[in-house]
Amino acid sequence: MHALRILLLIIVVVALLGCTMPEKKEEVIKIGIIGPMETKYGIAMKRAAELAAKKINEEGGILGKKIEIVVADTKFNPDVATAEFRRLAQDEKVKVVIGGFSSGIALNMIEVMAETRTLWLGDASSPRLTDKVAQDYEHYKYFFRIVVTNASTFPLDMIEMLDNYLNKELGLNLKKVAIIRDDALWTDDVMKKFKPLLEERGFEIVMDEKVPRGTEDFSAILLEAQKKADVIVPILAHVRGDTLLKQWHDMKIKKLIAGHDLSAIDPDFWNATDGKCFGEIYLADGGAVPTPINEKMVEFINMYEREFGTLPEAYSAYGVYDAVFIYKAAVEMASKDGVKDPFDPDVLVKYLEKFNESNPFESTRGKIAFTKNHDLLWGDEFIRNYVCQWQEGKQVILYPKNKATGEFVKPEWL
Amino acid sequence: MIAEVLVLGTVVGGIWALVASGFSLIFGVARILNFAHGVLFILGAYFTISLNSVLSNFFGKLSLVLSIFLSILLVGFIGLLIYWILLAPIKEYEIMIMLITLALALLVNELILLTFKDISISVPTLIPGKVEILGIPLTYTRIFALLSALSLLIALELFIRKTRIGKSILAVSQDKEAAMLIGINVDRIYSLSMFISAVFAAFGGILYAQIYAVNPETALRVLIYAFAIVILGGLGNVRGSIFAAFIIGYLQVLTSLTLGARWIEIVAMVIIILILIIRPKGLFGVET
Repeated sequence: MHALRILLLIIVVVALLGCTMPEKKEEVIKIGIIGPMETKYGIAMKRAAELAAKKINEEGGILGKKIEIVVADTKFNPDVATAEFRRLAQDEKVKVVIGGFSSGIALNMIEVMAETRTLWLGDASSPRLTDKVAQDYEHYKYFFRIVVTNASTFPLDMIEMLDNYLNKELGLNLKKVAIIRDDALWTDDVMKKFKPLLEERGFEIVMDEKVPRGTEDFSAILLEAQKKADVIVPILAHVRGDTLLKQWHDMKIKKLIAGHDLSAIDPDFWNATDGKCFGEIYLADGGAVPTPINEKMVEFINMYEREFGTLPEAYSAYGVYDAVFIYKAAVEMASKDGVKDPFDPDVLVKYLEKFNESNPFESTRGKIAFTKNHDLLWGDEFIRNYVCQWQEGKQVILYPKNKATGEFVKPEWL
Repeated sequence: MIAEVLVLGTVVGGIWALVASGFSLIFGVARILNFAHGVLFILGAYFTISLNSVLSNFFGKLSLVLSIFLSILLVGFIGLLIYWILLAPIKEYEIMIMLITLALALLVNELILLTFKDISISVPTLIPGKVEILGIPLTYTRIFALLSALSLLIALELFIRKTRIGKSILAVSQDKEAAMLIGINVDRIYSLSMFISAVFAAFGGILYAQIYAVNPETALRVLIYAFAIVILGGLGNVRGSIFAAFIIGYLQVLTSLTLGARWIEIVAMVIIILILIIRPKGLFGVET
């Protein structure tokens, strides 16, 4: 009898092993991470995704399946980006693509997304992306903007920064604005809304200078801005702000810099500029600066530092990390409702849409809620850009008041 | 606006003069059209910051000067290696030289991307501070850049005109066969010209990265400027290149102030095409 039981046990174990071994591949959920992997934006995406996968896998995976991260490099080139997106969707058969960077490139990738019906939790700010969702929902519904807010909300943040904060709260009386911006699609979208807003609030645009990617010499532009304007407003993501700040500081340009400078969000910006960014005011996308705004953020930052020995290199880390978790939440909700295939992109679109104003998702950056066109909902309670300043090696949040971690400091030469 | 163009343009013109004179020298002497010249330019800056981060642990403040000096020598040596290994065996074939230096430029660019990633790097300031000239704040770094570029250019001029080996360089550039007949070792002159050319490029890159910044893309932009300058000044004419470098420097600032920064390279390209159509030998002709 005893021997029979053991034999039975062995048969059951072998049968189980036999069933599970060949199917082990099925136990993995592939998540594609796409971005310019030679830049810190891409590196931060990849690392954040790996961290999220590690944490989720340690806790049992998604519906018992382990996450596997597949990385694709856009090389900042639309042709490479579309080919890589296609590779992720068709060859790697990933369940979801996360990332992007550069709206010009994203607008190419979104066509491959629609064609391959791949869920995409994207990083690119142009309104044209979610306009597509609005215009042809069935075709483009797989796109959700999650890493950054719509470029059309940057003007709202910037006008609050200039008018509500710098002018009304600090009494700086800045009226003439010199804009230095990326020669790129997304800043055209920003300007469409920013220009009327500025005029409405009594500002005057005295300079609107487009600079191509790789620009290193800002001296002539800065001198002209010093002559004509009260404040210099950079709107830069592709052009790195460190060179601008270095020349601003070295030449002791007597006007404040306050705008949207993506590179200023990075924690190593102080070292990259040799401390010359002191005094720069910039917008940080929804708390995408290493500041303890909630428990999830603190946990994420600590894990990142432990794993990689550095703070998240770029803003994209926070959004990508959140994206993996929001994907997991949507799949689990679908499964709980007894949906046959909770990984089906058409199903998941419906479940991601459930994270709305009345039912937001708690992320590292605060509450994530989607609008009906799959944009991030903007507002003090949701994801918005905080007004920050670089002070003595530290990133200080100045505005809104309920999130502020310090006071404005004026560089002595201004 | 005139003040800005004069003050800022002179500094940037000085750096371009360094870059273009080296580019022109090696072409004038050895008929080597070096597409990797822009890469040598940025390598100067990349080596400097890498060396400085190591040496600063041992030499403190002196490490930057030491790193700059070592980087320039290192790039000069790389220039020599490029000549010895890649170019010397094919030195009779100008098209091959162009192709191989272009391939090399792309290769090194990819290697820099792999090692340093796609970010801008700056060389730390040697002398902080600024003065106002014609109402324009001019940093000491820029003044240092201009003065050191000019001294190097004068040194090159004296070297070529006054020393025996310098005169040999001139002789080879004028008539290679005749130079051989009077016993000049042409290969040695080629190597020396390549070394000087690389050293000038590296030093230009270091000065540039102190004032502005460099990233992997800078290599191509510098090459475009170098082309525009030597075509404007006359291909192979070092003095012409130096004048043309200042013209391009002023035009660059003027374009940035009037049309906008995005037009600078377009203007450079238009100059290349116009000069090639209207006056192919350049403003100052080709020294023979």
